[in-house]
Amino acid sequence: MIEVKEIKPPRRIPFFGMISGMFTVFRHAFQKPVTVQYPEKREDQGDRFRYRIYLSTEDCVGCTLCEQVCPNLSITMMMLDKDNPRNKRKIYPSVNFGTCTVCRNCEEICPTDAIYLKGVFETSRTRNSFFYNPLELEKNEEEVRR
Amino acid sequence: MNILTRIATILGFLGHFPAYALAYLIETLVVIIFGTVAVAGMVYLFRKYMARVQIRVGPNRVGKFGILQVMADGLKLFQKESIMPSGRDDLPYKMAPVIVFIGLMMGFVFIPYGPLVWFGNLTVTHSDVSLVILFALIAIMPIGEILSGITSNNKYAMLGALRGVAKDISFEVPMMLSILSVVIMASANVSNPLDINGIVQAQSIPFIILEPLGFLIFFISMTARASFSPFDMGESDSELVTGNTTEYSGLRFGMFYLGLFGTIFLGSMIISSIYLGGYYGPFVGYFGFIWLMVKTLVLVIISLTVWLTMPRVRIDKFVTFGWKVLLPLSFLQLVVAGFLTLGGIS
Amino acid sequence: MGPQHPSTHGVLRLKLLLDGETVKNVEPVIGYLHRNAEKICELDYYCDSLIYFDRMDYVAAMNMEIGYLEAAEKLLAIEPPERVKWIRVVMAELNRLASHLVWAGAFGLDLGMLTPFFYFFEEREKILNLFTEICGSRQETNYMSIGGVYQDFNDKIIFKIKQFLKQFPKKMEEAYSLFIKNDIFISRTKGIGILEPEVALSYGVTGPMLRASGVPYDVRKDAPYLVYDKLNFDVPISRGKDVLARCIVRFEEMRQSVKILNQALDKIPDGPYFNPKAKKSLMIRLRGEGDVYARTESPKGEFGVHLVGDGTVKPYRLHVRSPAFKNLSILPYLSRDVLIADMVAISGSIDLVFGEVDR
Repeated sequence: MIEVKEIKPPRRIPFFGMISGMFTVFRHAFQKPVTVQYPEKREDQGDRFRYRIYLSTEDCVGCTLCEQVCPNLSITMMMLDKDNPRNKRKIYPSVNFGTCTVCRNCEEICPTDAIYLKGVFETSRTRNSFFYNPLELEKNEEEVRR
Repeated sequence: MNILTRIATILGFLGHFPAYALAYLIETLVVIIFGTVAVAGMVYLFRKYMARVQIRVGPNRVGKFGILQVMADGLKLFQKESIMPSGRDDLPYKMAPVIVFIGLMMGFVFIPYGPLVWFGNLTVTHSDVSLVILFALIAIMPIGEILSGITSNNKYAMLGALRGVAKDISFEVPMMLSILSVVIMASANVSNPLDINGIVQAQSIPFIILEPLGFLIFFISMTARASFSPFDMGESDSELVTGNTTEYSGLRFGMFYLGLFGTIFLGSMIISSIYLGGYYGPFVGYFGFIWLMVKTLVLVIISLTVWLTMPRVRIDKFVTFGWKVLLPLSFLQLVVAGFLTLGGIS
Repeated sequence: MGPQHPSTHGVLRLKLLLDGETVKNVEPVIGYLHRNAEKICELDYYCDSLIYFDRMDYVAAMNMEIGYLEAAEKLLAIEPPERVKWIRVVMAELNRLASHLVWAGAFGLDLGMLTPFFYFFEEREKILNLFTEICGSRQETNYMSIGGVYQDFNDKIIFKIKQFLKQFPKKMEEAYSLFIKNDIFISRTKGIGILEPEVALSYGVTGPMLRASGVPYDVRKDAPYLVYDKLNFDVPISRGKDVLARCIVRFEEMRQSVKILNQALDKIPDGPYFNPKAKKSLMIRLRGEGDVYARTESPKGEFGVHLVGDGTVKPYRLHVRSPAFKNLSILPYLSRDVLIADMVAISGSIDLVFGEVDR
């Protein structure tokens, strides 16, 4: 059973519609602007907003699941000489943010929650410095200087 | 007491003749500077008003409330390299923006500005045929636009110029006819009906009340003359990139840009002079200039609202509209004006 | 009209043959945004393909995800819980609103109306903020997953969506009146680009384009997926067949979407928000075998996904029937012997999104 509703253009009075449209436009001039002046003010992003990948090398077990699940091959495993009894192979993920699409699959699949995302989004870099090694992934954005 | 004699009195130590000559020069310069500043202010007003209407903030970084934004933009355009298209017709290509700009600036000289407190009457030119000269000068501007279109060797510019021609010929005649009806009305009361100042003085009742139809025709024609939406088919940016100005960059583009906004301002001043009573208002002896500016600003705001609300008219529809609607209406207006004059109403 | 022309949506390039102002022939050249999405999806796990579907129709990512998941869940034999279906309907309709709002704004710009664009985008911005609240990102949300959704709805979110829906119709009608009550707008759209229903059907045109020609075809009604059969809404059609008809059909669809949302938000049942068979730690082990085709109603039209699995963790073949591509094929037919200005209006009324056309 398909309910079909045939619609016709609403009735209008010639010329008057244009004038009323102009009034509508003019009235908006007294509204408060909805844009946010970015560097001074910031919008609240909500608590589910995620962008930057963080890594806790303490928890990482080097299972390479994140590397497998990453759809863009942004995550590659990297040798890192760090004393961690749970990570026998001493491999940790490193992320190329230039290709990261923030799909959050790595966060979801990580068995030890070593990879997690946070709502930090001011991560602008030059083109060649998007690559974050595991130690840099641990740090905050301000500490990773290029 | 008008501003000319004021300046001449100050320069009186030079002797009678040099003082007046210098005074004329200074006065004209002042008007041209006024024109430039007004056009720049017009750009700022447009940007701010557009932003407010679109629930944005608009320019607010350069200077307080972004007032210096226009100057910054102008400086940027000034610094930019002028990229010339290959295969252009060099001289007309370079002349086109200058023609537009000069046509605009000369137009400012012929407006009756009215008295202002100490300065006296600010009107520059006291010619008996200033209306005719003014419209002759305004008619120069389309030549610049057409030249720019056909010489810059670009398909969009070419189409823009063609549309510009089609547009111009379809509204110029009704515009002139509605002006003629104003002249007829004014001729009943004053001896110099071809002088804009005379027309202003003839309006004991503003002509917008006596001939609203003519006002409408003239307003539409002025909108089309300034070629902004809904009549911006010449430079419709969704079809022809920017029409005839596509190949221009740097300062030359800036001249076209100023030409566009200047035409809106100039057109609004002309309309307020010949239909809204110009500088007439309470305390005309002191604040005539202020009244003119207030009327102009109201008209400018209305024009900008039209610009921001209306979609673009298709060129063939506009030509049809011009010849089949505006022209008969302006003839009708002419007849009505004749009857009003004979009946002695004006 | 090259790929860098200001009016073309995305990167459409149109080769025009002109006679003065009249368009004699149009040849759309596509492929400037070709990203090989289908092939990449074949090289990836089932769960990973979702992000490529996000990027197909980037203004209606949710609808694309649903289109893929309908196929993938059929292939992998994973039934989403009831609550997930309702949540997906809510998200799809919200995104349909956003997509139509983008279309309306861009269409206004095509015709030279500068201001309504911002009124539409203000509303869209609110929807995208809701998405940030719900999914964690604005456009390419990757919210759905096989057998579930990324995170659950809660009362706060439902309250916020309802708050948005309360003010939305008024704002939309206000901006709509700028369109429909304007004589110049009517004169630019009425009788332009007339598409007869037989021609539309033979070209494979779907969605609002087809409904504007008078054919009441809507996958949500004709072959209900998710829970659309439990919802009460109309299929708007118009017999105008022209650009104006497409405009009013799309606006009426927005009203119907609001109606659907109001019903769906009240009816969301409790329950889990993902199927335990497809929980995230197992997601790269999902294996499917068989051959499925699923179709859904995206804002542009019928969106079909053909998925072939060969028993491994990756699909053997994936084909996308993208509505915008099929709708674009009608452009040369529609814009024969019209003026350039009309051609811009017609190509605007098709609602092209180039991520989807080129894939």
